[in-house]
Amino acid sequence: MKKICNLFSFIGLCIMAGVYLLFAFPSRMRKKKDLYVFACDEAELPVQGVRQYYIDYPLRGRTVTKKFFIVNTGKELLVFSSVCTHLGCLINWHRTENRFMCPCHGGQYDNQGNVVAGPPPAPLNRLPLKIERQKVYIGLRV
Amino acid sequence: MGKFFEWLDRNFRIKKPHRRFLYRSIPEGVNYFFCLGGIAFALFILLFISGMMLAIYYVPSENEAFASILRIDNEVRFGWFIRSFHKWSANLFIVAIVLHTIRVFVYKAYRHPRELNWIAGSLILILAFASGFTGYLLPWDQKAYWATEVGTTMARTVPLLGPYLCYFLRGGQDVTGATLIRFYVIHVLYIPLFMCLLLWAHFHLVKHQGVKGGL
Amino acid sequence: MNRQKDFYPDYLIEILLVIFLIVELIVTLALLYPPAIGRQIDFSTPFSPRPEWYFLWLYQLIRYFPGSRIVIGTTVIPLTAVLVLILIPFIDKGKLGRLKVVIVGVLLLLSIVILTSIAVLIP
Repeated sequence: MKKICNLFSFIGLCIMAGVYLLFAFPSRMRKKKDLYVFACDEAELPVQGVRQYYIDYPLRGRTVTKKFFIVNTGKELLVFSSVCTHLGCLINWHRTENRFMCPCHGGQYDNQGNVVAGPPPAPLNRLPLKIERQKVYIGLRV
Repeated sequence: MGKFFEWLDRNFRIKKPHRRFLYRSIPEGVNYFFCLGGIAFALFILLFISGMMLAIYYVPSENEAFASILRIDNEVRFGWFIRSFHKWSANLFIVAIVLHTIRVFVYKAYRHPRELNWIAGSLILILAFASGFTGYLLPWDQKAYWATEVGTTMARTVPLLGPYLCYFLRGGQDVTGATLIRFYVIHVLYIPLFMCLLLWAHFHLVKHQGVKGGL
Repeated sequence: MNRQKDFYPDYLIEILLVIFLIVELIVTLALLYPPAIGRQIDFSTPFSPRPEWYFLWLYQLIRYFPGSRIVIGTTVIPLTAVLVLILIPFIDKGKLGRLKVVIVGVLLLLSIVILTSIAVLIP
């Protein structure tokens, strides 16, 4: 009798914990979609070096502004997200040192997005770029 | 007044079972360092009260959280003082708990038969830290947002469970309003609730085992 | 002392007085140094968040573990520290128990104090 009582309480608690976890865990989100957003006119692209762009795009029913970098290495155009791959802070471009620098934990990237110093585990995220009718679009996953 | 309390206690009977607790004698070698636990408890109560006040005006939503903080600071009668009070009590609460832990450690008060009480105390310390972390997001300003971004990304680096943990904490893939509500509920409901349970256990054990005095 | 002190009211009054002083301290601090109001969230301005002072040791710790070794800084070391804290009564067993526990405790406290002060002194 006692054993049944204990077993019942135990099973009850387990069920409650399970239901709680399933309930509290975020439900499946919508899949991220590729979205090309307008960045600038082709004429505004950097001829040489790095330029930063503030781009507005819709996210969850609102407009958010985020920062992106477009690098012209002379051979190709690279687009980088400004999110540091270490712990998600935003990086700055330091012209004098020719580096992207993260203010949080001192991560540094060169103008190709590769890690040169500090703790980041991976190079900067590269985003696709598309030019249509003299307008530049950046591919985001939102 | 005294008669009222007598009547209350005749029915409720709380004094009698605590007689041994209230009128017990204090062992030798007790000094002012033994107040630290009591101070921490008092600070917990102050935090509870000021938190109850702040919760009346605070709105845990993505669009209104920051505005409601501004309202507390500028419009609510001495709202800025209550917010400041909550913040300072929180800091001193951590200090008091840590010092209390050190005091218990130095006086060897964690030894048999008080192992369980040490564990309960450690859990209270951890909960206090968790409360500090979740409370940091609530002002919903730049500092709060980026600190939480970094903190939850750190949770993602935990092997195996990390991504799920991060997802669970954020309530989605990014730090959003869903995260704010989660942190709010953890800060104002879950942690105080478990803290009260643990404090009850802590005092229950002190009541039974007594204060260990002397070195 | 002739008479043994009782918890109530001899001891409780002292505790209450100390608590009264603490409340005074908080009120003074709260009046003198109210927390600043931050800036509104901006997803495009780099911002280097500093955690509360009691998380600074962790903040400083993860700086020493670059790349994928960050697991050590975020999981292994904090988890060990917490486990050691909880298990202190069980480390203190046997003849050299107290010695072991003192070494472990002092190491734990000292490393946290040192990491925190590094983070405070070198921003």
